[in-house]
Amino acid sequence: SLASPSSLQGSELHGWRPPVDCVRANELCAAESNCSSRYRTLRQCLAGRDRNTMLANKECQAALEVLQESPLYDCRCKRGMKKELQCLQIYWSIHLGLTEGEEFYEASPYEPVTSRLSDIFRLASIFSGTGADPVVSAKSNHCLDAAKACNLNDNCKKLRSSYISICNREISSTERCNRRKCHKALRQFFDRVPSEYTYRMLFCSCQDQACAERRRQTILPSCSYEDKEKPNCLDLRTLCRIDHLCRSRLADFHANCRASYRTLTSCPADNYQACLGSYAGMIGFDMTPNYVDSNPTGIVVSPWCNCRGSGNQEEECEKFLRDFTENPCLRNAIQAFGNGTDVNMSP
Amino acid sequence: EAPLGLYFSRDAYWERLYVDQPAGTPLLYVHALRDSPEEVPSFRLGQHLYSAYRTRLHENDWIRIHEDTGLLYLNQSLDHSSWEQLSIRNGGFPLLTIFLQVFLGSATQREGECHWPGCARVYFSFMNDSFPACGSLKPQDLCIPETGLSFRIRENRPPGTFYRFQLLPVQSLCPNISVAYRLLEGESLPFYCDPDSLEVSTLWALDRELQEKYVLEAECIVGSGDHEKKVAMSLPVTVYDEDDSAPTFPGGVDTASAVVEFKRKEGTVLATLHVFDADVVPASGELVRRYTSTLLSGDSWAQQNFRVEHSPNETLAQVNNNSVRATMHDYKLVLNRSLPISESRVLQLMVLVNDSDFQGPGTGVLFLHFNVSVLPVTLNLPSDYSFPVNRRAHRYAQIGKVCVENGQEFSGISIQYKLQPSSTNCSALGVVTSAEDTSGTLFVNDTEALQRPECTELQYTVVATDRQTRQQAQASLLVTVEGTFVAEEVDCPKSCAVNKRRPECEECGGLGSPTGRCEWRQGDGKGITRNFSTCTPNTRTCPDGHCDAVESRDSNICPQDCLRGSIVGGHEPGERRGIKAGYGTCYCFPDEKKCFCEPEDSQGPLCDELCRTVI
Repeated sequence: SLASPSSLQGSELHGWRPPVDCVRANELCAAESNCSSRYRTLRQCLAGRDRNTMLANKECQAALEVLQESPLYDCRCKRGMKKELQCLQIYWSIHLGLTEGEEFYEASPYEPVTSRLSDIFRLASIFSGTGADPVVSAKSNHCLDAAKACNLNDNCKKLRSSYISICNREISSTERCNRRKCHKALRQFFDRVPSEYTYRMLFCSCQDQACAERRRQTILPSCSYEDKEKPNCLDLRTLCRIDHLCRSRLADFHANCRASYRTLTSCPADNYQACLGSYAGMIGFDMTPNYVDSNPTGIVVSPWCNCRGSGNQEEECEKFLRDFTENPCLRNAIQAFGNGTDVNMSP
Repeated sequence: EAPLGLYFSRDAYWERLYVDQPAGTPLLYVHALRDSPEEVPSFRLGQHLYSAYRTRLHENDWIRIHEDTGLLYLNQSLDHSSWEQLSIRNGGFPLLTIFLQVFLGSATQREGECHWPGCARVYFSFMNDSFPACGSLKPQDLCIPETGLSFRIRENRPPGTFYRFQLLPVQSLCPNISVAYRLLEGESLPFYCDPDSLEVSTLWALDRELQEKYVLEAECIVGSGDHEKKVAMSLPVTVYDEDDSAPTFPGGVDTASAVVEFKRKEGTVLATLHVFDADVVPASGELVRRYTSTLLSGDSWAQQNFRVEHSPNETLAQVNNNSVRATMHDYKLVLNRSLPISESRVLQLMVLVNDSDFQGPGTGVLFLHFNVSVLPVTLNLPSDYSFPVNRRAHRYAQIGKVCVENGQEFSGISIQYKLQPSSTNCSALGVVTSAEDTSGTLFVNDTEALQRPECTELQYTVVATDRQTRQQAQASLLVTVEGTFVAEEVDCPKSCAVNKRRPECEECGGLGSPTGRCEWRQGDGKGITRNFSTCTPNTRTCPDGHCDAVESRDSNICPQDCLRGSIVGGHEPGERRGIKAGYGTCYCFPDEKKCFCEPEDSQGPLCDELCRTVI
């Protein structure tokens, strides 16, 4: 009863129209008096402390209904675009009005990723010179190769040394580093360096512990990941959702990495690239994920949180955490990248 | 919140939908459990069909519910064109899953707010095909819904039915296939399956504090006789907690004593009391708001100087061989400000802890008792000190330490040391206070006075003063000047640290050297190490990874510990300043704020921070 990947791909492409970005949609709305006044109204409705009561108000409801027909309703943002934060603010100002209360999964404000892993392999093999032949490179340390490749590229080397020195700088014996600055430098690295470099470092495959430890150290976890205490995952999610960027990256992760029992790879539309991209997109935020240990083959990733203190929401908390720790889509995507194998897509 | 106290036994239901399933096809049952025996559920569907991400797709024209039984069924067949209509409304997302909301009770609720316990979502996976031929269905497809089953049951509530075996569409479209179910074992478990209705019910009220998870094992039997096939299924049940346990003291300990003596600094933890609560609600998010602690004391002095810090921790409690979660609260009595050394009092502090969600019987209030003694500290110095000093010692050479009694243990007490010379002619020494261990370090301040032949014995009075109370202690200090003076070579550098090799290091003295000669420290040569080779005025104090009070006086004394500048070569920087670890030999030019670490003999390339992290 499993649908074949090719038929899903077909249905996905059918009826899909390229969305307008929200900054542009906002300009279109501003040019129209009815839309712009309704948009202003809605923002006032959402700004109140008691949002739900405000939204129940007739005027707010009317504003929402009008805006659902406007270009603002369908608009999306691009990862790393100019004015990304502004775009996301516009996106959430409409969508927070539509999804009152907490949803477990939220729709991603980002455009769907259409490129495939195979594109990255083609480029990556140029750097390595080995043609990504798994037999030839079985003995070598892929994570070390990835670091070397990055150092041979000026841009990658510059942004990498920047985050390394910021995240390594000890402030005092009680303060390991400036976490905020470290996160910012990590975000710059993952936003501005092409994924051929960043994914190779983050998702390299390993045969021994030294390699896996290097892989775990990629984001300098003692500064960017670990903390004195492990918060509850649902509390961490609440914290993440206060920030538009973190919220968007988490929603994007859920949209692209959520395990599906309907596809062969367990990934939505069998798209590994989209999943890896949205995983990397969370690095440098409150929900920063990382490898939990330096086990070379048993890959487990998780944000820095656990489910202690969940009370009656333990199931929900564990479900949330399992999307990281026991997610077949994410695991398959990381392994496929490490092995240099993508799913063959029918045209 | 649900009207009355009814709640769904699940928050999400799943079923498959196929194209052209006939009108009247039963889909599934939803179940509500009661909070009190007189309640009767009445089910109602939300008006709209939603996409997986909550986009409103269409009014629900197809699915209906039996208000009393909770049976969902197709009111109208779903054909291809209806599906396409829904897909178009679904934006860019492929239409795979849609959902409906089911509410409890007839009271009008806003469509937007669907939250357990009063609302559940029923998800339908859309199969873009007609219902498969009965013969092609595997036992798995005939028995178990594709998404796992899990149930929530509240503790202390009347027992009731929470599930019904059977996949209704299969049963109605393939009536000739016999499918039977059986709940396995569980004689002692509070669950029961009626063989006729296939309804699974609880037998009595559950108590989370006894067991919070059950996994019911069941068996589905397809066919009969030789063709019989069995499929195992498991039904996890989670018991939901309510605040039905009052906080208690583990071991009955409700009193702790605290003594404030040498540690008087703001933030010092004086005593800790533990409070146990068998409940796990309220959860971490709102615990601090619901579980309050108040320092009860009319005394404004106590209110200003003490505070209580609360940190809850989930623990496991063993009950009848089961582990159940519980909460241990730690209450710490903490100094709210640094106390002066003259302060002396005895007081009892009471803290009221209130589990404000606890409904009783009894009370959710506890009192913690802290017996606090604040003892005064008197400053004492040993009656006399005597130290030798080498006549050839350079400026900032450390010659000894003075310290008030128990000074190592002090925190939050600031002591200042002073020297009063008995004769002004031979005043060669100085003293600085190091904040870390409240000691005073004696050092050579005036080398000329030291070299005068008449100054062979230096007499001082050491005075220690508490900055806050001006309390003082005194001791006499005798320093004997030993050795003969030898003039320094002319081209010796100011700082020992500039010397790169052992011979040139030991030829000269430098700022801070007590013997008039620099000392060589030979490293272990093991890569980037804390034990690197270097030239220093005194290997006991430099480099020790700590820029002490004397060393910080002049950057030439010990740049290895005190440098704020750049380090070239393989190294690990110290916290804020200095070299924590270095490769080979480290030498420094304090005026240029630079240090170099490089291998002793080779001319290999220098490695900066990046290269060290890379390879």
